[in-house]
Amino acid sequence: MREPADAGQPWRRLSVRVVHLDVIRVVISLATGYAGTVVRDDPVWPLIAGAGFGLVGALLDLNRWRTTRYRITAERVEMRSGWLARKHKTVARDRIRSVDSSARLLQRLLGLRSVHIGSGESGSSFALDALDHQHATRLERELMPGRATEPTADAAPSPEPDPETVIARLRAGWVPWNIVTVWSVFAVAGPLIGLHFALRPFGVDLIDLGGRLLNWESRAVVWNVILVLLIAYPLGIAATAGAFLLENWKFQLVRKGTPPDTALVTRRGLLNTRTVQHADERLRGIAFEEPLVWRWLRLTGTKVISTGLRQSGESTTSGILPRIRLAEARELAARILPDGSRPLESPLHRHPRGALVRRLGWAVYYPLILSGALLLFGLSDAIPDRVWPLPLTLVLLTVPVAVVAYRSLGHGLAGDYLVVRGGVPKRRTVALQRRAVIGWTLEQSIFQRWGGRMSAGVATAAGDRYYTAPDASVEQALALISEATPELARGFIDDQQPAHLLGDGVVEIEVEVEDAVAGAGVSRLDGSKTID
Amino acid sequence: MAELSPPRPPPVQAGRLSLRPPSRRLSRRFILWRTLQTLCWAIGVLGTLGAVYGLVEATRPWLGPVLLVAGPLYAVHLAAIPTLRYLVHRWETTDDAVYALSGGLTRKWQIVPISRIQSIDTSIGPIQRYLRLATVTVTTASAEGSITIEGLDVREAEEATDRLRELAAATRGDAT
Repeated sequence: MREPADAGQPWRRLSVRVVHLDVIRVVISLATGYAGTVVRDDPVWPLIAGAGFGLVGALLDLNRWRTTRYRITAERVEMRSGWLARKHKTVARDRIRSVDSSARLLQRLLGLRSVHIGSGESGSSFALDALDHQHATRLERELMPGRATEPTADAAPSPEPDPETVIARLRAGWVPWNIVTVWSVFAVAGPLIGLHFALRPFGVDLIDLGGRLLNWESRAVVWNVILVLLIAYPLGIAATAGAFLLENWKFQLVRKGTPPDTALVTRRGLLNTRTVQHADERLRGIAFEEPLVWRWLRLTGTKVISTGLRQSGESTTSGILPRIRLAEARELAARILPDGSRPLESPLHRHPRGALVRRLGWAVYYPLILSGALLLFGLSDAIPDRVWPLPLTLVLLTVPVAVVAYRSLGHGLAGDYLVVRGGVPKRRTVALQRRAVIGWTLEQSIFQRWGGRMSAGVATAAGDRYYTAPDASVEQALALISEATPELARGFIDDQQPAHLLGDGVVEIEVEVEDAVAGAGVSRLDGSKTID
Repeated sequence: MAELSPPRPPPVQAGRLSLRPPSRRLSRRFILWRTLQTLCWAIGVLGTLGAVYGLVEATRPWLGPVLLVAGPLYAVHLAAIPTLRYLVHRWETTDDAVYALSGGLTRKWQIVPISRIQSIDTSIGPIQRYLRLATVTVTTASAEGSITIEGLDVREAEEATDRLRELAAATRGDAT
């Protein structure tokens, strides 16, 4: 099974402490299983099943340790693993986009850390699970994208740690913004249902017990629901608070390294700790996400947009800050971007009125289509006759949503950044570096053609891979392209005036007022300003 | 199948700025290819639904309305859409970029700089092989930013991809 070492670097095993960890897991499983057979007269099957799974998991993990080898050469990182099916994963060091590390509770107690090496593709991303703490820290430093590539020597702890500047630390004031959500209720409901089924074998019926405790039968259903919500919300909020603190304990965002090899690093976690690096070299922009429900408080989430990381899916790797007030987020954003610019605060172009009309049209059109379909099915006797007007009541909801959707639209240019804004449940403002543009897509439906509008989309290798300014006027869309990428646009977009006269036309721009009136969350001043 | 030089559509004009359309058309056999393709789908979908409608009486109230809407939709797609698309679709490669216009009622212009191209693929389906047509796909690091040009004459597609590969090899860029 052992391959001969080539390129001078031997294949190495994961930390031997993984074995210790697995032995502890085996012991815990056996103890649980034993408890399951003794605690009551007849065996407690959930405990025994849990012990069985734990035992099998620990043994499989032990086998994984036995069969896994890795090595780091000047050019690449390789890992061989697998018992029945052998796997060989290789990632070239200049392809490494992220090096993160994490440790679960048991791993932490034993001084172990998992190192996750990401290349942006699943085929060549893998985790070294786990290495001892020192080794992991050194690997993280050395494999960080942009580093000079020298093979990792075995011994010799690294000389001096990289210089760090702290950008943000967890503040007590942040906690309330992150724990009150509409969904808090489910934070209790889920575990309670779990507990109900876990306690059933012991003869405890939680639902029945709760019903008797609250005197279920004495009230109408509505009051019962209200009562349950009143009890569940505070509990749910407490549970989310606990989860938030567990995850974000000692949260720290720092900029580490000496230029040009700098990176943003987040560290967080109480029991399970996680460290995530974002190399500045791969940073392409930043985004704010403001949830509609909290717009009156001006709360925002902050994400960084990097190449090689998917913004959706791996949300934890790009969410750089917990949810905080907009004013503070803006100050921090200016420090997160290496150039210190503030593109997210620049005034944005407002989209034409037609965009509002189109959204209102959708708000009416979709309920109508739904009603029409129900009417057809009603006529063919597939469903009851009187159902068809029901979807029309949706209009009460969709029309306000359409107005909100229109009001979130915006786009503009701020120095080296291209800014687009939009979205209803979460209004997202994205600032993307102009050099990150890898293509343009313009789309125009037949209604947009009649209204002189167009959607401008930016393809990029970073973040979500695609960002749009929907329903801009044709002139705005073309101007955006020719100002963001003048050289590329010259071949396709003809400008009848020299570029330095661009600011001549009076353009309506929109300014956000800092102390906005609560409610709508955003106020606007319509000003006539010229742009350069 | 020599192409008569078709009239160039006017550029999209807005104020001082105007977006010119790409210069080249697809092969005229694109219309036939799309019609055949739609016909296959129509036979498959409508045939299946129709058979179920005919054989299982219980499904009739559900499938009746579906067929009523799907039938005319397929008819329009067979009769008009392939020609409409042929009239709209255009493409070109310049020294800096690939530029394509596609769509029917909704139009879509795409620009990808040569320096950002990751790969250039040609694919030929069974009906396309019979009609000597090819589909050229220019992929980038963003799936939405990738361009697909369907229904090129095989020889034209070959020339275009060869030229693009030369240009891409000569252009420095990391595609991200």
